[in-house]
Amino acid sequence: MLHEIDRYVHLNSWMHRWRPRPKLVGLGTLIFAFAMVEDLRLVPAMLGVTAVLYTIATLPLSFLLHQLRYPGFFILGVVLLLPLVSGETILWQWGPIALHSEGVSAMVLIVCRFFSILTLGLIILGTSPFSATIKAMRSLGLPHVLADMMLLSYRYLFEFAQMLTTMQQAMKLRGFKAPSRLALRELMSHLRRLASLMGTLLIRSYEQSLRSYQAMGLRGYGAAAPHSPGQSPPSSLWNGSALIVMLMVSAGFVLSDFL
Amino acid sequence: MHISDGLLPAKVCITGYAITGGLTWYSLRQIDRRSTSTEDIPKASLLTAAFFAASAIRFPLPPGSLHLVLNGALGVVLDCYAFPAVLVGLFFQALVFGHGGLTTLGINAVIMGVPALLASFIFKLRRLIKGQSSRATFVFSFLAGVSGVGLSALLFFSLVITMVPAELDASLEQTAALVLLLSHGPLMLLEGLFTAMLVSFLARMKPEVIPE
Repeated sequence: MLHEIDRYVHLNSWMHRWRPRPKLVGLGTLIFAFAMVEDLRLVPAMLGVTAVLYTIATLPLSFLLHQLRYPGFFILGVVLLLPLVSGETILWQWGPIALHSEGVSAMVLIVCRFFSILTLGLIILGTSPFSATIKAMRSLGLPHVLADMMLLSYRYLFEFAQMLTTMQQAMKLRGFKAPSRLALRELMSHLRRLASLMGTLLIRSYEQSLRSYQAMGLRGYGAAAPHSPGQSPPSSLWNGSALIVMLMVSAGFVLSDFL
Repeated sequence: MHISDGLLPAKVCITGYAITGGLTWYSLRQIDRRSTSTEDIPKASLLTAAFFAASAIRFPLPPGSLHLVLNGALGVVLDCYAFPAVLVGLFFQALVFGHGGLTTLGINAVIMGVPALLASFIFKLRRLIKGQSSRATFVFSFLAGVSGVGLSALLFFSLVITMVPAELDASLEQTAALVLLLSHGPLMLLEGLFTAMLVSFLARMKPEVIPE
């Protein structure tokens, strides 16, 4: 199933042509360099680099806004109080409500870091197929158990979500309703129904896993892979130079923050 | 109960990744010791996907509703696969819903995964009781559920309150942490009951899902 995150992997930008492995290393390093930014003067540069990279990726703005929706509300909920409760230097005061300079700085820094990191994460995941990104992680040392778990879970995630929705609809059609008032007895019986619902989902997924394992076994899963001569894809000038540029930009941010 | 990107200083994120690396190594070593490790991977993966899907279940608590955390139940059912499952689940949550983040994946895995491991350990203690009655299964899975969400809440609020604000008053920090933790008391109780009901259901209907 093609999920929202894989919707624009077919585009043909420079970022899409960048091989997943150097892209993961280059942009991953930049993400951690952004996480280290503590100096407010670096924020415009951080936002500028993010905007340039997103433009190069040619991903639509609607994609970014859609992905920003939920986490954006969460982060605003967390940091909106900061200017009111954090710091000592008062910028503005109205009765007992006071805006503090340190709190405002912390809020701006957190929101901008969050926006830049989330955007870079979207560029990594939105410009390569999910399986190619996992393969790149595997080549960088991700243990095979984790790689297999990620791929298998991703394969069944949306299927189980759909199964759960169907089961919940079936419950409603049979007359099971969520309690509308705060009565302990009703709440407990609803909790028991939800536990049975989830238990049924777990049993179905367990039975599906047995069938999947048999099918995977027939296709050679668990057997030693046949030895084949290493065939690394040809390295292009773009792949290498883009990685070097990203590492230099990351180093620039880290050093500027220290100085 | 996930920390978003940009909230924590880089050193905390890196420390989170270091702890997660150690716990993943420990879990993978436990998995390798099993004779059925290849067979178990699809089971653990599909159960992880099912837990992830089930995290969308909302429990109505009039006038609102709440989502269950389920890390205690995950620890009970997945045993040594619990920590890798938490890591995979959090990666998908960051990817699909934007909950959590890539830089905070390590610290979020500690917040959710360490309590899952503790829940798994608590549930295993039922072996000390001879006969392992259904009542013992209920009680130990209840304790696993309570401790799972309780420890997660403690770790989450301690980190957010001590690491995020620039210059917050120390006594205000302590009060806020205490108030937020106490407000999670009903959720801990609910989570414990739900875990106990879920594990009892599985023990009756499909006992092989629950690890020995």
